[in-house]
Amino acid sequence: MPREAELSLNEREFILQALRENVRLDGRAFDDIRELQLSFGDEYGVADVRLGKTSHNPFPDRKFDGIFTISTEFSPMASPAFEVGRPTEAETLLSRLLEKAIRRSSALDTEGLCIIAGLKCFALRADVHVLDHDGGLVDAACIALVAALRHFRRPDVRVEGENVTVYSVREREPVPLSLLHHPLCVTFSYFNGGEVVLVDANLVEEQVREAEVVVTMNRHGEVCQVAKYGGLPIDALALLNCTNVALAKVQMLDKVIQQRLEEDAKRRDKGGLMAELNGDTLHKDDDRLDRTTDWLAWVSEWIEKAIGLTVGVVAQRYAVRCMGVSEGGTGRGKARARALEEGEGETVRAM
Amino acid sequence: MPAPTHSQNGYTVIGAVNGPIEVQRRDEIPDEAAIEVNVRPATGIGSPKERHIEHILTALLRNIILTHDYPRTLIQLTLQILSVPATHSTLPSSSSLPILPALINTAYATLLAGSIRLSTTLTAVLVAVPKSELEAVAQKGSSHVFAFDGRGEAVLVHSEGKKFEIEEWEQACEAARGCVLG
Repeated sequence: MPREAELSLNEREFILQALRENVRLDGRAFDDIRELQLSFGDEYGVADVRLGKTSHNPFPDRKFDGIFTISTEFSPMASPAFEVGRPTEAETLLSRLLEKAIRRSSALDTEGLCIIAGLKCFALRADVHVLDHDGGLVDAACIALVAALRHFRRPDVRVEGENVTVYSVREREPVPLSLLHHPLCVTFSYFNGGEVVLVDANLVEEQVREAEVVVTMNRHGEVCQVAKYGGLPIDALALLNCTNVALAKVQMLDKVIQQRLEEDAKRRDKGGLMAELNGDTLHKDDDRLDRTTDWLAWVSEWIEKAIGLTVGVVAQRYAVRCMGVSEGGTGRGKARARALEEGEGETVRAM
Repeated sequence: MPAPTHSQNGYTVIGAVNGPIEVQRRDEIPDEAAIEVNVRPATGIGSPKERHIEHILTALLRNIILTHDYPRTLIQLTLQILSVPATHSTLPSSSSLPILPALINTAYATLLAGSIRLSTTLTAVLVAVPKSELEAVAQKGSSHVFAFDGRGEAVLVHSEGKKFEIEEWEQACEAARGCVLG
């Protein structure tokens, strides 16, 4: 099998010299991430992520028996250097990092996959297919995985004692997975003895870097894992700085994923009814907003009714007064009318 | 270069070709290119079914690619199945025909996009012959995959199903020819 085409000495020097002069090959700033493209398939849980030229396609599938597994197998599609059936170093690192970032940070509440304790549970399998490789595999795979897990819906179940009924998508609206948080990875690459730090290095930059630091955190700034590869020593304070930069990136990426998920939910929501069903589980923030608008509508409706009722009461009183019945109430008016009919003149006058 | 993606019968396949590249010593052929086809399912890892499809495709593509133009090299084709129709899970697990036309047509588009020299064009189509409408629902008929080259010759014929007569097969072949060659 051919090895990954190595950079020539000139190419290598060119990239490093450019970095010394604060220039990146693709003209990005040092802490810039490539444009993220995220799209979802027709089925639930299929996310296509494109970060620069690197792209991913995970497909969580559902089968019985087992738990949550992440499968990352590289094919020669991504790069000729990847061989079928022989994992490369990059593949091992990727699967290990995803394992730490998603599984061990308990992003997915695996207890939610349990149907009957010890007897039956859902098995969730996430396949990460690398379609193209242009650096930043870990970041892109993590985005794809988190997006797919947030997009995925598992079939609804009903438990009656030992009997379990699993409803198909047609019978009952499938339910989303319970995710405790959404961790995302940001990779920092170190060059020139740690002087230059790049965010989201592309493939050629990855080939000339001296060290890398992968920070996984969620949008609340909770660090899930920090991994450092390569021989270059890195200052502890620089690592702290990494987490600060990573937080900004993660919040930005999380916003993009959220936005895409909402767009996809809107696309699927044909009748408008599904939004109400999905609303409380899919987007919490939106849901709160929805409830506020509902509440406002309810209040305005209530005020309207109250005003209508008051106007009605006033109008009735006015009408009653016009008919010559005193404020005292209908009781006296009716008595007077009855008295008139009965011809008891004296009593009527007295009244 | 965008990778060729092809959809047929509800199956979507993306293809990529590497070649001519260095070949492993044991696979090397002195006067022609070795051909390697990798079919990767949408979910899970490859099974014997994928190996069977790879075997069919390798044999077919060896006749289409001008392998003698690339001696002692490897042409490596990867076909990744991206999505399958909802009916796919109801098919018997041994059934490999429904996906075959999508794979063949993607392979052809990929080879074209990858500038691999070919001797002719290639188009494949799936023909299903139901015995009656009821049986079609129960999948009791037969299904056939035909692939035709540029001269209209059938270069690949695969059939599966319960039981079918030679007349039915001939009718299916004519239908496929009409569909592909117009």
